Amino acid sequence: MESPDDTTQKTSEEKSGLSSAQRRAEIRRRKLLMNSEDRMKRIVGFTKSESENNGASSRVTEPRFHLDLDRIEPWSASSPRLSPFLPEAVGSSHPHSSVPERTGSPLGDCSKVLGGGVVEDVTPGVRQRPRGEAQLAAEDPSHSASPRGGLQKYLSRFDDAMKLRGQLANEKQAQDAASSDTEELDSFRLFRLVGSVLLAIFVRVFVCKYLSIFAPFLTLELAYMGLYKYFPKVEKKTHTTVLTAALLLSGIPAEVINRSMDTYRKMGDVFADLCVYFFTFILSHEVLLLVGSEETESL
Amino acid sequence: MTKMAGCSWFLVLGSVFLCNLFKTLLPSIFSFLSKVLQKDAEHERHMRAEIQEMKKEHNSVSMMDEFARYARLERKINKMTDKLKTHVKSRTAQQAKMKWVVNIIFYILQAALMISLIWKYYADPVTVIPNKWISPLEWLVAFPSGVAGGVGITCWLVVCNKVVSIGLYSIS
Repeated sequence: MESPDDTTQKTSEEKSGLSSAQRRAEIRRRKLLMNSEDRMKRIVGFTKSESENNGASSRVTEPRFHLDLDRIEPWSASSPRLSPFLPEAVGSSHPHSSVPERTGSPLGDCSKVLGGGVVEDVTPGVRQRPRGEAQLAAEDPSHSASPRGGLQKYLSRFDDAMKLRGQLANEKQAQDAASSDTEELDSFRLFRLVGSVLLAIFVRVFVCKYLSIFAPFLTLELAYMGLYKYFPKVEKKTHTTVLTAALLLSGIPAEVINRSMDTYRKMGDVFADLCVYFFTFILSHEVLLLVGSEETESL
Repeated sequence: MTKMAGCSWFLVLGSVFLCNLFKTLLPSIFSFLSKVLQKDAEHERHMRAEIQEMKKEHNSVSMMDEFARYARLERKINKMTDKLKTHVKSRTAQQAKMKWVVNIIFYILQAALMISLIWKYYADPVTVIPNKWISPLEWLVAFPSGVAGGVGITCWLVVCNKVVSIGLYSIS
């Protein structure tokens, strides 16, 4: 049977043991928190530079990153057994003290942290060193240069995906309501079409006997390129389609997409001019043939 | 015969124009069809008017003084509203189905017309002009007829389609 002295001695020993274990757990927890950025970087992939780091996304993502840490605080209050070795953890202002011990792979840790819920007892986490953490600890700390960039990029892409989804839904509704071509007939476009018609008639009457009909057309297009700046510029609405959304989400910068779309739009304008030109040419040719045949018949 | 052969470009142009015109008028055709085929609009209007009247009566009744009547009216309004919602849902689904069917029929007819035109003018050009006028693209313009200086059906279809769509868009 144990004497009270032995019991007291054991309790004090336990307490000191607990406090040392507690201390070790606390150190480990802090180390994990410091390496959390490394872990995130590994999850979402190493990125060299942040290409599209707009203020909104950074504002959204950075607080979110911090929010993940801050959000853990109320969990510690609701589940005090998360840190049984840290009596000061409950209601503590220090954010790291309330973080539960992470076990397993870094991805598992993130899911535990972000998903919420009660984390398992710290004791196994204190004893076992997870593989991911061991790797991170063994790695060179110089890699922690921009680990947040990967997470930010991931989150910004997720935001973009949600926004694009909403835009696509709106565009589809607008297109269903309008159900018309998306080309706008501004003043320059009208000028181009009228110019093509007039040139086609002129070429049919005077020029076609001497050279190909496409030569004057090319000259006309070159002239349009020069005259473009003298016309009022119309803001072209960028329509979000499934293709542009897919290109955006696959990592192609928006500038490249916009420039490509602009190029395709210009090529479309040239093609429309060519169609109108050729159509007018053939029409005028047929009309002239008809008038000529009627004249010969009347004669 | 020569005149008829010479008017093939006009025939193609007319067909393309009709197709595009029909496409532009599809929404009006669809709304006309839905009015003709769906005769429940009157019933729906009655229900809406009834709900409005009940709501007016409901607002005029005091809950404290005539609670039973108030509750009864509320139940009636809720029942009628649910019935109306179900009715509207089924009508909307029917309309969407009808729209889909009309669109499918139109595209089938359009495809059939285009294929028949291509089949008819596969070997003959729609019109012939001197070869040197359309150099160096004479082979592209003449495709698939292969006639030197001819305007092939595919080229003419594309051109007509573009021009008619621009024209109809500017008019509408």
